[in-house]
Amino acid sequence: METQPQQPPPPVAEKLNPKLEKELNLESLKTRAVSLVKAVSRILEDFDAYGRTNTTPKWQDILGQYSMVNLELFNIVEEVKKVSNAFVVLPKNVNAMNAGILPVMLSSKLLPEMETDDNAKREQLLQGVQSLPIPMQIERLKARMDMIAAACENAEKVLADTRKAYGFGTRQGPSMLPTMDKGQAAKIQEQESMLRAAVNDGAGTKLPPDQRQITTALPPHLADVLIINDAGKIALPGQLNNINNQGMMQVSGTQFMGRSAASPSGPNFDNTTSPLPYSNSPRATGMVNAPSPQQQIQQQLQQQQQRSKLMQLPQHQQQLLAQQQQQLRQSSMQGLGQSQIPALHDMHGQAQQKFQTLHGQHQMPYSQPMAAHQQFQARQLSGGHIQHSMSQGQLNPAMNRHLNQFSGGANSALFTSAQGSPSSQMIPNMSSMQSQTLVPRMQQFGVSGTNPQRSHSSQMLGDQMFNSSGMMQTQQPQQQQQQQQQQGGYGNMQTNLQPNNMMQNAQQRHQNPQ
Amino acid sequence: MSMECVVQGIIETQHVEALEILLQGLCGVKRERLRVHELCLKSGPNLGVVSSEVRLLCDLDQPEPTWTVKHVGGPMRGAGADQISVMVRTMIESKVSKNALRMFYALGYKLDHELLKVGFAFHFQRTAHISVSVSSVNKMPKVHAIDEAVPVTPGMQIVDVTAPATPENYSEVAAAVSSFCEFLAPLVHLSKPFISTGVVPTAAAAAASLMSDGGGTTL
Repeated sequence: METQPQQPPPPVAEKLNPKLEKELNLESLKTRAVSLVKAVSRILEDFDAYGRTNTTPKWQDILGQYSMVNLELFNIVEEVKKVSNAFVVLPKNVNAMNAGILPVMLSSKLLPEMETDDNAKREQLLQGVQSLPIPMQIERLKARMDMIAAACENAEKVLADTRKAYGFGTRQGPSMLPTMDKGQAAKIQEQESMLRAAVNDGAGTKLPPDQRQITTALPPHLADVLIINDAGKIALPGQLNNINNQGMMQVSGTQFMGRSAASPSGPNFDNTTSPLPYSNSPRATGMVNAPSPQQQIQQQLQQQQQRSKLMQLPQHQQQLLAQQQQQLRQSSMQGLGQSQIPALHDMHGQAQQKFQTLHGQHQMPYSQPMAAHQQFQARQLSGGHIQHSMSQGQLNPAMNRHLNQFSGGANSALFTSAQGSPSSQMIPNMSSMQSQTLVPRMQQFGVSGTNPQRSHSSQMLGDQMFNSSGMMQTQQPQQQQQQQQQQGGYGNMQTNLQPNNMMQNAQQRHQNPQ
Repeated sequence: MSMECVVQGIIETQHVEALEILLQGLCGVKRERLRVHELCLKSGPNLGVVSSEVRLLCDLDQPEPTWTVKHVGGPMRGAGADQISVMVRTMIESKVSKNALRMFYALGYKLDHELLKVGFAFHFQRTAHISVSVSSVNKMPKVHAIDEAVPVTPGMQIVDVTAPATPENYSEVAAAVSSFCEFLAPLVHLSKPFISTGVVPTAAAAAASLMSDGGGTTL
C-alpha cells in the first residue's frame, strides 16, 4: 500500500488525514498482519517437524490451520478494500511497459463524451438552484433527495400492499377478486360479440339494399374516385342498368341503317352506337350488328354519364345542349350521341365548363369539355373550329351526318376539314395538340385538299384521338355504305373514348389509312 | 409475407388511455394515429361460384389518402393450429392507387360493408414486426358517409395485434406475438378472432395504477 504519490520519496513522510487514518485502522491491520505471519510460520514449523521426525501429519489439523490462515487473509483484504478508494497504486518505476499508459492513468480529465455527459447531468441537477449561494444549493439538493426517498418508500409500501391484496407470495391465490354481477357480464359479452363480429365479418354494419344509394356528399378521398349518376348509384361499368341500354341498342340498330331517323327521346342522346364499330375487325363491311359486351357497357356508361352530366350542367348549358340536340338530331347520326358522351364525361370532371357561344351555329356543345378531357388530345381543336365548319353552311346530308357523328372535340377537326375549309385551320389546332406526331400527319392531310369531304379530317381526327390514321374514309353520299361503315367505325371510336383509354388503343389498330 | 399472426381483444373505452400508456412503455416507439376507412368488397357471381372478399383500406390520416388492398384468407386449421394461441392465416396486402375501388367495381365486386376505424397504433420490432392497434369501430348510416359514422359499440374498443409471417417462420412469429400479449394481460385479454374473451376483471385497478403518478411531486 503506497501512501505517497509517484515522486522521489519526500524527505519527510506525509501525515495522513487523521480521519482517513482512523478509518484505515492501521493498528488493527498491523496486528492482523502480524498474526497472519505467525500462523503461516507455525505451519511451516510443523511441516519441518513432520519432515524431521518422519511422522505422518494429521490432515484435520493441517486443514484447520490452513483455513485459519485463509480467514485471516480474507479479513485483511476486506479491510484494505474498504479504504483503498482513497489511494491510488502507481508503478514505482517507469519502464517500457507502462510508459504509454501512465499519462492516461495520471490524467484526471474525463473523456469528451463523459465530460459532456457529466456537464449535462450537472446542469440538470442544479437547474433550479444555481443562482443561490452554495449552502442553500446543498440544502435544496438534500431536500430533493429526501423527497425522492419518500416517494420510493411510498412505492414500496404500495407494492407490498398490492402483493398482500392479490396474494402474491402466499401459497393461496388472490383472496378477493373483483367480481362483476351477472347482468354486467352479460352486457359486456353481448357488446363484445357485436364488436368482434363487426370487425371480422361486417355484421351489423351492412346497409339494407334500399339504403345503398349514395345520397350524401362523398368524402374527399372518394370524391375523385367515384362517379355518381343521377340514380344515386355508383356509375361504373357493370353497375348500370342493362335493360335500359339494351332497349336503346335495338333502337339504334334499326336506326343505323336508316341513318336519318331522329334519335329517340329528349335529353337522352342516341347513345347506342352503330353496331359496326363493335366488332374488333378492322372496318369490315357487313359487320355484325351485335355490339360486344364491352361496347354495351360503354354505351350504358355513356348514357348514364350523359344523363348525370346533364343533371349537373347549369341550366343555361342544359338549354343550349337541348338546342343543339335538336339541331343535331335532324341530321341524326347515331354516332353523335356517342361522341357527345365523351364530352359529357369530360364535363363531369369539370364543373365550370363554359360553353363557347358560337354564332348560333351548330354548336358542338361539348367541344370545350371535350377539350378539357384529358383523354382527348384533340381537345384544342374543338375550340373555335366547329364554328368554322358549321358556318360554312355547306352541309350536305352526308356531311351533316358526318358532322353529327363527331360532335366531340375531336370531331370538330373532322368537321372542319370535311367542310372544305382549308386544312390550314387544322394545323394551328394541331400545333396545340399534345401529340407532336400528329401534326405532320395533319398537315399531310390538309395539304392534299382534294376532296374536302374526304375523310382527311376524320383521319386526322382519328389520329388525334386514337393515334391511328385513316379511320374515316370518304364520306361522299355515293359511298353511303362505306360512309356508314366509316362513321360507324368512328362512332365506334367515339364510344371508345370512354374513361377507358385502353379501348381506344385497341380500336385504333383497325383503321387503315386510305 | 403472405401470412399473418393475429389476435384480438376488447377493452372498455375508459381504459384505453391506460392501455396507451402501457403500450408506450412496452413498445418504445411513438404512437401513430389511426384513421382508416375500410371497404369490404365481395365478388359477384360473374367471378365464380364462391364469392371472394377483398378489403380496401384507405388511410385518411395522411395528407394524401393512401389506399391498400388486403385479402384475408382462412385461418390455419388442425392440431398444430389449435396449439398455437394466435391465429395464423393467409394475408396478402399491397398498396394501390385510388383507382382500385373503381377497378374492383368494374370487375364486378360489390360493396358488402364498410367501417371506419379511429384510434391509434404502435408498430415495433420484437423478434417479429408487431403492430398493435386500438381503435373504435364505426359504421356509417349512409353509404360512404364518413362524417356521420357512429361507433358500433360506444363503450368498447377493439385491440388488434398482428404480425406478418411466412410459412417458414410463423411459429416464431406466433411465439413472439403471444409473449408480447402477456405483457398486456393486466388490461386486455387477447385471443384468436371470433373467440370471445370478456374483459379483464382487474383492468380498472391496473388502469388506475397506470394512470396515477404514484403520489410523487414534480421536482
